[in-house]
Amino acid sequence: MEETISLKEIFEVLKKRIWMIISLAVGAAALSALITFFVLTPSYEASSQFIVNQSQDQSQNAAYDINDIRTNVELINTYNVIIKSPRILTEVSDELGLNMTAGQLADKIQVGNEQESQVVNVTATDTNPQRAVDIANTVVNVFKGEVPQLMNGVDNINILTEAELGPNPAPVSPNTALNIAIALVVGTMIGVGLAFLLEYLDNTIKQEEDIEEILGLPVLGVVSTISEKDLPKKNPARGRAKVSEIRGESVGT
Amino acid sequence: MVRKKKNTMNTKARNLIAEDNPKSPIAEQYRTIRTNLQFTSVDHELETMLVTSAGPSEGKSMTTANTAAVFAQQQKRTLLVDADMRKPTVQYTFRIQNMLGLSNYLAGTQRVKDLVNTTHVDYLDVITSGPVPPNPSELLGSHKMEQFINEAKQHYDMIIFDTPPVLAVTDSQVLSNYVDGVLLVVRSKQTEKEAAAKAKEKLDQAKANVLGVVLNDQEITSSSNYYYYYGQ
Repeated sequence: MEETISLKEIFEVLKKRIWMIISLAVGAAALSALITFFVLTPSYEASSQFIVNQSQDQSQNAAYDINDIRTNVELINTYNVIIKSPRILTEVSDELGLNMTAGQLADKIQVGNEQESQVVNVTATDTNPQRAVDIANTVVNVFKGEVPQLMNGVDNINILTEAELGPNPAPVSPNTALNIAIALVVGTMIGVGLAFLLEYLDNTIKQEEDIEEILGLPVLGVVSTISEKDLPKKNPARGRAKVSEIRGESVGT
Repeated sequence: MVRKKKNTMNTKARNLIAEDNPKSPIAEQYRTIRTNLQFTSVDHELETMLVTSAGPSEGKSMTTANTAAVFAQQQKRTLLVDADMRKPTVQYTFRIQNMLGLSNYLAGTQRVKDLVNTTHVDYLDVITSGPVPPNPSELLGSHKMEQFINEAKQHYDMIIFDTPPVLAVTDSQVLSNYVDGVLLVVRSKQTEKEAAAKAKEKLDQAKANVLGVVLNDQEITSSSNYYYYYGQ
């Protein structure tokens, strides 16, 4: 079937099934909201920061040497690996009594430094806000303790910020608003797709043009859908007010 | 008819709008169908026709009754015959008894005159299906049917048959041999394209003279101009 679809037709199809599209979108949004609220466990984030710096006894004068800073920044890459190593994490796990392997704990931790600075962020994510705080702080503390051993006496870790538990910790995930928005968009897309699919699958005759195209017969007339206003107000021809027979409609003959 | 009506198939099927509300646009549409039917047969006048459709409940009976009514309004002596012996409905439209009818003629020795019911529409008479016989197709294909049409032609200018769906039973194909033309009813948003094409094919096989199509139950959109008419 060679068909050109005009913008008007597309608009008609959408208009015809607008309620289906809207209800699908709203339904998807409601479903995602329910899942977000009742099914997914919220997880919380806590961050602690430490700064990598030469200890005071090494640098006599307060003036910074650019090479020192560069060295420190490059050290950070090493530290990032160290923090996630089992050596640190098993100790953290033991200290907090988490019953987790180092690998599991590593999945909960993100380490990164802020754009070439000497500050390193340790972010812990956990379903329990208090535990997230504990993990972040313990990791930094254990690390600070371990570094001198690992790096042959280098002690250049200073804790900058400790993770703290706020009064009303907000979960970082799931992001309710985002989930609902995504569901809304997806629902709308499914609805629109379904509208076009139904339109495409609907192979009933709708207009005169269809008849001429398929049957090649002349259309002798079109009878519109009969509405209330087409029916006579009352029937002068027969003064019967009651309808006695009811016509039974059955499919088939 | 005074009671509050819902717009259902049932009320539609029993509505003779062309007669009860002749000023309505719907009645006007039936008059258009009448005009076009008269133009379809050029060399000889259309005297007998049957109305059928591909499937059930596409509006055959309503189209038949209203078309008959608009022919009668032209003061043509019109006879509506219910040849749908599978599911007769004409008696509901006109509120008459279906004690005697076409089947009595085909299987007995009645005369057309004895079977006719007058209706509240001037110039329109009705013959119901009669008691449902076990073999409608055979009866409709019998020599008696030809005899019936010839006899009816003596009294009437226009004879219109209501028939069963083409795809369900062969009755309308059989009957199409005896009439001048066939009117195919198609219901918007219900008749499938394949079904309509198949119905036409079946009628063509029966050498029927398919006059054309009536599109029934067409949704009124704001862009359609069917609803423009003068006076009220």
